[in-house]
This record gives sequence, C-alpha cells and structure tokens, in this order.
Amino acid sequence: MVDRVRRFFAERGVLEVDTPVLQDGANLDHGVQPFRCGDRFLPTSPEHALKRLVAAYRQDIWTLAPAFRSGERGRRHQPEFRMLEWYRLGWDDQRIAEETVEVLRTITGLSGQVERLSWHRAWERAGLDPDAVQAQDGFSREERLDLLLTERIEPALGRDVWTVLCDYPTSGAAQARLGRDAQGRLVAARFEVYRDGIELANGYHECVDAAELLARHQAELAGHPGCTLDRPFHAMMAEGFPDCAGVAVGFDRAVMLGLGLGDVAATMAFPHSGAES
Amino acid sequence: MTSIPISDISKGYKLIFDNYPWIVIEVNFVKPGKGNAFYKTRVKNLVTGNVLEKTIRGGEKVDTADVSDADMTYLYSDANGYVFMNQTDYEQMTVPLKVVGDSKDFLIENMECQVTLWNGEPIQIQLPNTVTMEIEYTEPAVKGDTQSRVMKPAKLKGTGATVPVPIFCAIGDKIMINTETREFKGRTDK
Repeated sequence: MVDRVRRFFAERGVLEVDTPVLQDGANLDHGVQPFRCGDRFLPTSPEHALKRLVAAYRQDIWTLAPAFRSGERGRRHQPEFRMLEWYRLGWDDQRIAEETVEVLRTITGLSGQVERLSWHRAWERAGLDPDAVQAQDGFSREERLDLLLTERIEPALGRDVWTVLCDYPTSGAAQARLGRDAQGRLVAARFEVYRDGIELANGYHECVDAAELLARHQAELAGHPGCTLDRPFHAMMAEGFPDCAGVAVGFDRAVMLGLGLGDVAATMAFPHSGAES
Repeated sequence: MTSIPISDISKGYKLIFDNYPWIVIEVNFVKPGKGNAFYKTRVKNLVTGNVLEKTIRGGEKVDTADVSDADMTYLYSDANGYVFMNQTDYEQMTVPLKVVGDSKDFLIENMECQVTLWNGEPIQIQLPNTVTMEIEYTEPAVKGDTQSRVMKPAKLKGTGATVPVPIFCAIGDKIMINTETREFKGRTDK
C-alpha cells in the first residue's frame, strides 16, 4: 500500500519529504492534545513542518509521517499512528478533494463514485436542524453538535460512495480559509472524506492570513494546557505562505478499510491497547 | 476513592457517580475531525442492575469505586438477613434481604457464593451458575416420559421456592437449576 502511494505521487511530480518528530511548539487543533516531550512537542500531524517546506521551496510535497495524539484510544483511534499528508500549490479544496479520493482508491482498492455533500445538507438529510441544537445534559451546544455528528450523521456517510463532506461552518475552520457557499453563507473551505461511516481525510484550501491563523491558535491555547505556540511556524506564515491546498489522510484507517478490518489496532504490529502512562 | 483520567478506563473498571458504584461494560472513544473528544461508555449499576449509556468528555477525570468480590459461605438466615462467612478471614457478615433478592430461592446452607462489597458493605451476591436442590413436593410423576417438555411446578426443599420441572420428576429427586434463568437443567443420578 505504501508502494502504491509512492508511485502515485512520483507519477504526478509530488516530492516525498521527511518531517521531524520533535517540534518547537504544539499543533493547536481543536480537541486534539499533543504529547509533551521535554521542552518540545510531538506532532499531532506533520502539518506545520510541511507548510514550512512548502513556503521555503514552493514545491508540491508529500510525507507519510508518524503522528501522536494524547488520550485517543478506541476502535478508530490510537495515540500513535501514521499521517499521509500532501500539499498542492495553486489548488483549492475541491480539486485536492478529488485527488484525495483517487489516493484513497489507490490505497484501499475500493471503487465507488464521489459524492459532494455540504455540512448543512448532511444534517438536513439526517432530519436534523443544526441551528435548533441546544446545550443539554451538561454538554455545550458545540459539544452536542459533535455528539450528534458522530451518532446520527457520520454513520450514514460514505455508503458505497466516497462522501466529501464540505462547506463546514466557520467555527470548524481550523486552518482553512473562509469563503461563501452557493447560498451565500460564510463557510470554511474545508472538507473531510468518509467511506463506510469512517472519516478518512481532512483537507483545506489553506488559510494564508498570518494574523487570522495566529488568532485562531491563540484562542486554542486555553484548551491546550501546557502547550505553547509553534513560533517558527507563525514566523513563516508572517513572511508569506503561498496559495495552496493541503490534506491529511489517516493512513492506518485507510489500511483498515482496505483490509476490511473493524479496528485500527488490527493494522498495527504494536498497537497501544492498555492505558496510557 | 481515586480519580483517574477517563482515557485510562477500560471494560471492567468500577466507577462512582450519582452516589452509586458502576461497572464499565463497554467503552469507545469518538471524536469528529477537529471536534471535541468523548468517551462513550455503557455502565451497569452494581446495586440496582440498571444499565445506561454515559458520555464523558475526553480529558475529564472519573472517580473509581472501592468495589471488590469476596468468596463467602452461606451459613443461615435470621431476622436481620442472611449470614455469610468470608472464606479468607472467617469473619461473618449479614447480607440484608434486599441485597440477596431473588437469589434467596436457591440459597442453601454451606453454599459458596461471591459477595460484592462496596466500601466494605455487601451490595450484590452471585450464586454458582447451577445449583442442585431436592424437590420437597410436586404432583405425582408421569412414568416413562423422560423427553417431555411439559412442565409442572415443584417446591424446593430448604427455601420453599417453586420452579417449573418436567412432569417425570418426583418428590425426593435432586435436580439441577440454572440460577440465572431459574430453568431446570436435569436430574442428578440417584
């Protein structure tokens, strides 16, 4: 499967690169806790290092790199896993989403059409109105939306098709730029790819606004105790980051899907089954 | 009582919330991309037996319950309840009727049971899966029909409980009963 990925990118002129395992500051993605390692952090994805390479060399690049996320352990999560991540200069989220499905077909051997589905339409299809969701049972509105998404919406996505869930609300922008959807709503240029109810990839038309991204990361610091900003990353953004699209595929999940396994740990020689220390 | 991160729990852990001890039957981690992390658990109340689904935020801590199982021998019942002897330290303990519940129907002297203790107090007893008891009274047996699925009531010696038995059973027969389902499992050789 790794060989097939390597050939796929070689044929398209995308350069394979390596990224470091220790980084100066933390990735500050919502709900994702990094491991601290001395005065450094383990990457929760190779995103920051890859973006610094994109900015420095103005070249399409890809990597298959280890990623670490504290406290994540379940049928589809492991605290250590591999992320397949790549960047395409001058592309937007829609174009890289199509390539993402091609990569996923290559890894898994599964065929199937592509279905683009907006975040709002996915809720409608499940008979739910996201605007009507209220805080309940001690969970905030935002948390209730996440729970409903995992319980009622995600399981129905990607049934015999590759579902590209797109046009996310701005609150879930992460590192995507903002834009308008067909209805004129302000949305994030972000997508996820689902197959058989499993989330496999997350991509963006990348936010290039350094001040905007710094503000988003600063807002996340409160939810990441002990974490510090990745200063070299933000310094790069301030100097100028090119227009590009990027996507990250949970490689082990794609392997799980391709092999028809029910648990991501079954794809690993050394899964973390017990409690984390 | 100790607090541990929710990410450390797995099936079989015993937790305290809502003033009850609960055992974790199932736990799964869910998290939509770039969303909040949750642990979805199914837990069983060790006192009432209620099962419910409980969702806990990733990163939260939970309180573990001081719950243990002790091997005990049933001795006798009195006005206060059912008296057991701990096989480890030979201490006697009275388990109230509300904890023994329907298990009383199959509780005969010198039976070895497992008693679940929470903070040292009994909250549940677990009988052996199968017990052998003697029929004290039942209607006369129908001879020859040993394949019959036709049942009749039989009163058990020692507890006075009534269970359904096949019509070929007679007074004085020793029969095996599944304590969970209360079903007749067979006769022992006389």
